[in-house]
Amino acid sequence: MATTDVYAGDFNINAEVDVESIEASARKARIQSTKRLLRYTFLKLLALLFTVAVGVYITIFVANMGGEVDKMRMATIRESVALAATADPVFKTLSSEQRIDYINQRIELEAERYGLNRPFILRSFEYLRDGMTLNLGFSQQLVSDSGSRLVRNILLERLPSTLILFGTANLILFFIALFAGLSLSRRYGSFADKAVLALAPTSAAPAWFYGLFLILIFAAVLKVLPFGGMVSAPPPDNPLDYALSLGRHMILPVSAWLISSIFLTAYNWRTFFLIYSSEDYVEMAKAKGLSDRMIERRYILRPTLPNIITSFALLLITLWTGAIIFETVFNWPGIGQLYFRAIGAFDTPVIVANVVLYAYLLAITVFLLDFIYALVDPRVRVGDGSRK
Amino acid sequence: MSKKVWALLALFVLVGGILAACGGQTVVEVTRVITETEVVEGEPEVVEVTRVVEGEAETVEVTRVVEVEVEAPNEEEANRKGGWLDTIVIVQEPDANSAVARLEAGDLDVYADDIGGEAAFQAIESDAIQTRTQYGLFDELTFNIATCQDETKLNPFQSQTIRQAMNYIMDRSYVAQELYNGLAVPKYTTIAEASADRARFAKEIRELEAQWGYDMEKGREIITTEMEAMGATLEGGVWTYNGEPITIINLIRNEDTRLLIGGYISTQLEDLGFNVERVERTSAELSPIWNAGDPTLCEWHLYTGAWSQTAIDRESTFSFEQYYTNRVLPWPLWALYAPPAELDEASQKIFNGDFASIEEREELFRTALPLTMEYATRNWITSRTTVVPFRNEVSITTDLAGGISGSSLWSKTVRFADEVGGAMTIGLPSVFTEPWNPFGGSNWVFDQMIIRGIGEQGIYSDPNTGLGILGRVERAELTVREGYPMAASSDWVTLSFEPEVTVPDDAWAGWDAENQVFLTAAEVYTETMTALQKNTVYYPADLYTASYWHDGSPLSVADFIMVMITAFDLGDPASANFDEALVPTRDSFLSAFRGVRIASVDPLVIETWTDAGSLDAENAITTWWPGTAYDYSDAAWHNMAIMLRGDANGGFAFTAEKATANELERANLISGPSLAVLAGELISATEEAYIPYAPTLGEYVTAEEATARYNNLAEFARRYGHYYISTGPYFLSGVFPVEGQAVLSHFAQHPDLASRYAAFAAPAFPVIEIDGPARVTIGEEAAFDIFVDSPDGPYPVDDISAVNYLVFDATGALVAEGQAEAAEDGVWQAVLGTDVTGGLAEGSNRLDVVVVSNLVAIPGLSSYEFVTAP
Repeated sequence: MATTDVYAGDFNINAEVDVESIEASARKARIQSTKRLLRYTFLKLLALLFTVAVGVYITIFVANMGGEVDKMRMATIRESVALAATADPVFKTLSSEQRIDYINQRIELEAERYGLNRPFILRSFEYLRDGMTLNLGFSQQLVSDSGSRLVRNILLERLPSTLILFGTANLILFFIALFAGLSLSRRYGSFADKAVLALAPTSAAPAWFYGLFLILIFAAVLKVLPFGGMVSAPPPDNPLDYALSLGRHMILPVSAWLISSIFLTAYNWRTFFLIYSSEDYVEMAKAKGLSDRMIERRYILRPTLPNIITSFALLLITLWTGAIIFETVFNWPGIGQLYFRAIGAFDTPVIVANVVLYAYLLAITVFLLDFIYALVDPRVRVGDGSRK
Repeated sequence: MSKKVWALLALFVLVGGILAACGGQTVVEVTRVITETEVVEGEPEVVEVTRVVEGEAETVEVTRVVEVEVEAPNEEEANRKGGWLDTIVIVQEPDANSAVARLEAGDLDVYADDIGGEAAFQAIESDAIQTRTQYGLFDELTFNIATCQDETKLNPFQSQTIRQAMNYIMDRSYVAQELYNGLAVPKYTTIAEASADRARFAKEIRELEAQWGYDMEKGREIITTEMEAMGATLEGGVWTYNGEPITIINLIRNEDTRLLIGGYISTQLEDLGFNVERVERTSAELSPIWNAGDPTLCEWHLYTGAWSQTAIDRESTFSFEQYYTNRVLPWPLWALYAPPAELDEASQKIFNGDFASIEEREELFRTALPLTMEYATRNWITSRTTVVPFRNEVSITTDLAGGISGSSLWSKTVRFADEVGGAMTIGLPSVFTEPWNPFGGSNWVFDQMIIRGIGEQGIYSDPNTGLGILGRVERAELTVREGYPMAASSDWVTLSFEPEVTVPDDAWAGWDAENQVFLTAAEVYTETMTALQKNTVYYPADLYTASYWHDGSPLSVADFIMVMITAFDLGDPASANFDEALVPTRDSFLSAFRGVRIASVDPLVIETWTDAGSLDAENAITTWWPGTAYDYSDAAWHNMAIMLRGDANGGFAFTAEKATANELERANLISGPSLAVLAGELISATEEAYIPYAPTLGEYVTAEEATARYNNLAEFARRYGHYYISTGPYFLSGVFPVEGQAVLSHFAQHPDLASRYAAFAAPAFPVIEIDGPARVTIGEEAAFDIFVDSPDGPYPVDDISAVNYLVFDATGALVAEGQAEAAEDGVWQAVLGTDVTGGLAEGSNRLDVVVVSNLVAIPGLSSYEFVTAP
């Protein structure tokens, strides 16, 4: 054990210091910290998992209207089977009894295919189990564009087109709005600030609304851009031409997306940054003669980083959901349309898969954000339950 | 033309005029004679025109030279085989409004779906777009005819009298003109607009329309009387029963114009004193109530139904049986249907073909039609007339009931007018909706449109009449049991009757799935089997040398035999490809099938014995054509072989039912995970020189042929990325499922000239104009001229089956009927005799004319008002 006898001021600097004890304390603190972290992680994960499970089960229940959909589906099967049978020329050669048997046989097969011969409550927990374990399995009615029944394929086929459109549009929107907002916050009351303020209400109209106008002007009247779709018809063979065609088809939807949101989003950021821009330490930095860039980077952006990261992370996962009407207007083969079709067809496996994947992404994002906050903001400690 | 020539000509005319005038006689006839016309390539042709001016005194002949623009002969057009176009690009466009905008902008050439509402009007009014009418969707009002279990409740529609009277309170013209803005026509009877019987019974239908037309006060009177008879009372303008207001629950579909129709009917009923609860929901939401629910619970009273028709109905087989009896649809409401004995008997006879002659059948219709109006399980309201839009420069065949997407001939006629080749863009609401395979593949109309576009058939359906017309088949013979009222209208069919049609012992009548051999009639039937009819199809002598699959493989008899085998095999539990979902299909097939025999392999002649009949011999033929004999898509024996291997080895399943049960993908020849399975099976099949069902098919296919075919298919798949082949004028050259695009390319090896079906490019609807006296003297003969035109000019007399007329008096009662007489092409005359006009009272009368064409199923209708006076 090492000791010292040095005093400084009121402190006896030569006092005996128990280094081992300090180390032990530090070790203990680390262990406790790790335990706390693990406990926090476990509880957080458990809570998130529970939340996801509850959310998914509610979705299953709502999507099936508490089992009412079974009745609808059964009635629809009865209708469609009987009508399909009457379209068969041979059907009329059957006797009355044979016809009824034929139809009933078909109905039974269909009912079995949809699992309607088993109670909904039982199936609802099976859906939940499959969803939570990411055993996405097969769809009930929908097929992927290439004809696959695997839910995984159904989703994956639409994902690239969704991500490329909404990813491009949202990333452009995010960064333009962010930096525009930051700039405006530093030019409070300027003409640009007033203009953005005045134009912010234009975001009351959805993107598809602007899309219709853009299509009318640039496709129908000027004929310089396509009406919709992903690529020209027929699709170019050469990858470069394909990419160029894709880019050309993205001009209108991306523009519509930007027009509909840019002013309001920039206004939101500007208001957000305005609070930080008027902090004393920013004024102090300004008084010290620091450059605008440095002030923005060190004194405004840095303390707001957790919020920006949160916003960005949530943006990334919302890309996954697509936009039903927007995709319809631009005839874009995205996941939003797929989701809409799945709801219309009561295709529970596809609906569950969509929801469960989104829920997991959201849960993981929320979980990771806690750690990211701690990394970017020294005031934040994970699992401490307090902010210091 | 030079000024000198004109001057000379003017001088001659002047001289001629002076001479004629001097002769004291006016010109009596001017004849323009083109002395010679010759078509030369691209150059203006000089022809002589001789004008002959005849007068009493002398004749002056004037000759002038004119230049006539003539078209250069187009060898390419005359000799073009396959389709007219080089490429057809099919793109997904789910929105009708957007589709019309794209058509106007030239971004689309055709939109192959029928459209209504605002989009339809925009298309009709556009200068760049032409439209064609499509029939095939009918609105009706379904009544809950049950007596309520709860005796304190009264269901007014349990009364037949009230159901009948509902005809009077519905103004069908209002629905057609105001709610549909003219894109519908009133419909009174069960007979479909696009059906052979619509024309056949046009006169009877017209009579019923007059009898059951809108008359609110008459309806109110009948309903009031009947409600009171049932114990209801009208208190304070509201109908009550047991002291409680009667509330009618009207189930209204909210997806289309039925929302407005349901609202209109509700309003009319409220006007009569009923409380009406409008339940506006979707099909899926309402189906459990009206379709599956117990009608005696009286949870509903009215439902705004609609029925569709995808092809022209030649026989109206289901028209009565399906809608008025309980023998077709096993639904709770239908179980209550107990039609009057006469209607029941007539309906059953019509359905079963239990009549000895066309005349007897017509009599059954005449009996049944009025009774359906009286029994009134439903009241028909309108037949929608949606439109199919395409650009002016496009020529394409549309089916009266199926439009473009339901037409078998669309790809055989589609072209840019006066142009050979080119690329056309066609929009469809959805592209590649479901997997393509022959047994359980996509049945979506838009997928089927592409399938039909790249395929062909042994016999097609006439898009305007529904009658069979020649495809790949060259001719056919039918031998029918005496007493069955079948008739042939075409010269390629030979129809004969015999007392008994016997199935020969050596015909194939069954299938041994274990040993993979056919069973003969002698093995299957314990005693001599007879059939309703035997039909023999003759394929052309060059079938095997002129017809090719899209992978370049020539057609062979094995392709036909594969159809026969699979018709039995896949629904047989002993088969390696057994599919429970195909059992009902197989059973249904076997219920009519009696036997088949390859009478000759080359040229191919196939005889089939069956109990399936038809009034039209053309529609009673079994072609076994591999393009259409499968239910959902075309297939050659060799791509079928790899599909069967994929199914048997658990790579995928044909039907959704089997796929679900075994957690497999559905077989898809064009895209998706099935392609990898098919590729693997193709490699194995090639290595093995695999011949499916070898004990049978092996007699028709050699190992070398098998290998050659597999190699062709492999090369095709390498080039185009899929395994779907057919024999039509275009082949599927591009599949882009995510982009929602299909590319069809011209198939140069197709044997038919592109112009083969040009005559079906547009329907020849008769257009009628009536001219006659506005005032007719009672007791005197009155003649009315009826002008009947087609798009090409006067309607030839030979193409018209009948021109019927009906006379209605001022009260709307039918007082006379008859047939007009033909004067010349396009001109007919209806003469009302003295006995007819003598029977008319003073006042306003109406002459209705019904023109029944042989070329188009929908009759032409027109009316003429005239006044009678002493």
